[in-house]
Amino acid sequence: MSVLAFVVIAFMLTAYVLLDGYDLGVAAIAPIVARTDDERCAAMQAIGPFWNGNEVWLIAAGGALFAMFPLAYASAFSGFYLPLMVMLWLLMGRGIALELREHFPSAIWHQFWDAMFSISSVLLIVIFGVALGNLIRGVPLDPQGYFNGTFAFLLNPFSLLVALFAVAALALHGAAFLAWRVEGAVAVRARKLGRALWIVCAVVLIATSGMAIVTRGGIIFSWAGIAGIVALSLLLGYQGASARNNDRSAFAATSAFVVALMAVAAGTIFPYLVPAYPAGTGGISIYSAAPSPPALLSALVVTIVGIVAVCIYSTVVWKKMI
Amino acid sequence: MSIVLIDRLQFAFTIMFHYLFPITTMGLAPFVAWYTYRAAKTRDPMMAHAATFWTKIFTVNFAIGVVTGIPMEFQFGTNWATFSAKAGGVIGQPLAMEGAYAFFVESIFLGAMFYARKAIPTRLQSVSAVCVWLGSWLSGFFIVATDAWMQHPVGYAVASDGRIEMASLWDVLMSPFAWWQYLHVLCGALVAGGFVVAGIGAYYLLSKREDVLGRDFVRRGVAIAAIFSALAVFPTGDRNSANVTQYQPVKLAAMEGLFESVNGAPLAIIGMPDVANRKLIDPVVVPDVLSFLAYGNFRAGVHGLTAYATELWPPVELTYYAYHVMVGLGTIFVGLAFLATGLLLWRERLFLIPIVLWALMLAMPFPYIANEAGWMTTEVGRQPWVIYGLMRTSEAVSPNVVSGETMFTLIGFLGMYFLLGVLFVYLTLREIAAGPSEAHA
Repeated sequence: MSVLAFVVIAFMLTAYVLLDGYDLGVAAIAPIVARTDDERCAAMQAIGPFWNGNEVWLIAAGGALFAMFPLAYASAFSGFYLPLMVMLWLLMGRGIALELREHFPSAIWHQFWDAMFSISSVLLIVIFGVALGNLIRGVPLDPQGYFNGTFAFLLNPFSLLVALFAVAALALHGAAFLAWRVEGAVAVRARKLGRALWIVCAVVLIATSGMAIVTRGGIIFSWAGIAGIVALSLLLGYQGASARNNDRSAFAATSAFVVALMAVAAGTIFPYLVPAYPAGTGGISIYSAAPSPPALLSALVVTIVGIVAVCIYSTVVWKKMI
Repeated sequence: MSIVLIDRLQFAFTIMFHYLFPITTMGLAPFVAWYTYRAAKTRDPMMAHAATFWTKIFTVNFAIGVVTGIPMEFQFGTNWATFSAKAGGVIGQPLAMEGAYAFFVESIFLGAMFYARKAIPTRLQSVSAVCVWLGSWLSGFFIVATDAWMQHPVGYAVASDGRIEMASLWDVLMSPFAWWQYLHVLCGALVAGGFVVAGIGAYYLLSKREDVLGRDFVRRGVAIAAIFSALAVFPTGDRNSANVTQYQPVKLAAMEGLFESVNGAPLAIIGMPDVANRKLIDPVVVPDVLSFLAYGNFRAGVHGLTAYATELWPPVELTYYAYHVMVGLGTIFVGLAFLATGLLLWRERLFLIPIVLWALMLAMPFPYIANEAGWMTTEVGRQPWVIYGLMRTSEAVSPNVVSGETMFTLIGFLGMYFLLGVLFVYLTLREIAAGPSEAHA
């Protein structure tokens, strides 16, 4: 049952990265591909109706973690107090920027919020990347399971490389989304940028995997390794679709790519939620952090019913919108 | 300052600022749905202007409500890790359900509402508006259910290692304590929504513009304010008091400023609690009424604060004043809303009497104060407990976060929310000044 709970949370976080990933990516590349006020308005309007629902996956995953693994929630959130608070502030800045820009038709007003939107979004991707990198690498934990390292410890080369990879991957995902959903010069530039980005992604993916194998060892023949190879081949799929100007398939390829990457991460971390550093010294596992079986069962049932319903009606609503 | 105090200040500040916005979204959502539905049905351009206008006001509130709401969920883990680790098996569930059941509904359908926006609203738009309304009310329910469990824990079991585990989610969600609290909260939000709609309508009428919509706003706003200000007093307010009397008697004593236990306890209308000397200064009281309200019997005995150890007292002054501000304002709302309703029913004389329109316009901020004061009564009054009778607030904070960090984030939130507040006021006043129909004329 703990394994199922892990899968549910991994599913929710994957949905978050898949969905909010493209609007974070759009924010990251907007200064490059959308140059005039009108172009930026078009780019923002492409994500406008979706971003909030996408972000809810993060909030809901936080809630699910709280319900299913309260000890991990308490330890991780208080352990990473400052980075988490900075993440919250960036989420706020980004949400405000996107919503408030529409309320005042002035180019100066738009420029300010667009800059805020892009900067906070890129910083968010970096924070998510650093967090993921550290989860894969493991973090120092005290006997009670609380983080006892320093802020500087979190900014290690491996995690920074993962952060760079996250920026590249989501920028690619965002470029594919814009190419599909927007017309004209923005789409042309997004396609062009995508063709450069997929190569960056492939190179950084190989570098990151190499470093992960050195840091953690023994993952290449595991599920994570297989997912990594799938991810690499999906990049080629993107290249193929993009070369044929098939934007819909190209976006499908980057979506599958993001899902494969999350599978790599989940496969590496399992069965831990917060692995200890150095690798192999335990950590907060899905067995130690779960509440009693009846409580976990009840949390699982309500969460699964909820997210199945969300998947159904969001598909129905979005089909009407695209 | 002690870490517990900084953590409490941060939570209190962020939740009180955040709550201003859900009050408005829960209170305005039915109006947005109504005008959108009417516009889609009648294809009347005036209704469409009203729908667009309230949707805009709603979305600014919704956006700030969402961004200030995210830190609330995360603060349980960041600042209150001991509490989360101990009670997460219970309170994590209603919070997770809020995410999985309410937030998605709200945000996905609000997106659809915007996407489908046309000069005349479409059916997708009115269906979405109704879903957003339901989502906002559902979200409120899960949050109140979480709080109500902390006020009056039910449906739980204590494990051998001291962790509090969920025994019955049904009991937690169906707790009468939660339901009366929720219905009272909804009444509070609808009173605020009603007074905002009526107040903005009154502003237009006093400025001699937007005559058609101004009157419509006043009629509908006053009707909602009258119905729900009455329901806020009875039965929801009354039932909440009964629950407090039964489960949290020391809070009741602090709310009423009652120090000594007596048979036939008086109801203090005004007066200043003097905690050091354990008495109410310059009180104006109605004899025996508190006993009647609490127990339905004028001679019933009510425990005063001195019946309990002082370490179990909540901060008396804050609880007392917050409660009296809420009750006093609530009484004024009933009076004003019923006066305005009477004048509307009497061949719409209300529109000929500027002073009542002035009163409606100036009343707008006060339901917010009353809502906040009500929550302060609830939350300050249950101190020193974070989970009533089970866990003290002082034992709940994160063990590994130091006061320097929380002070930094408290100051950060203060600065950020100040800017957000300025932006919100500016954008809202701008929409109101532009007017619903003139902006499109």
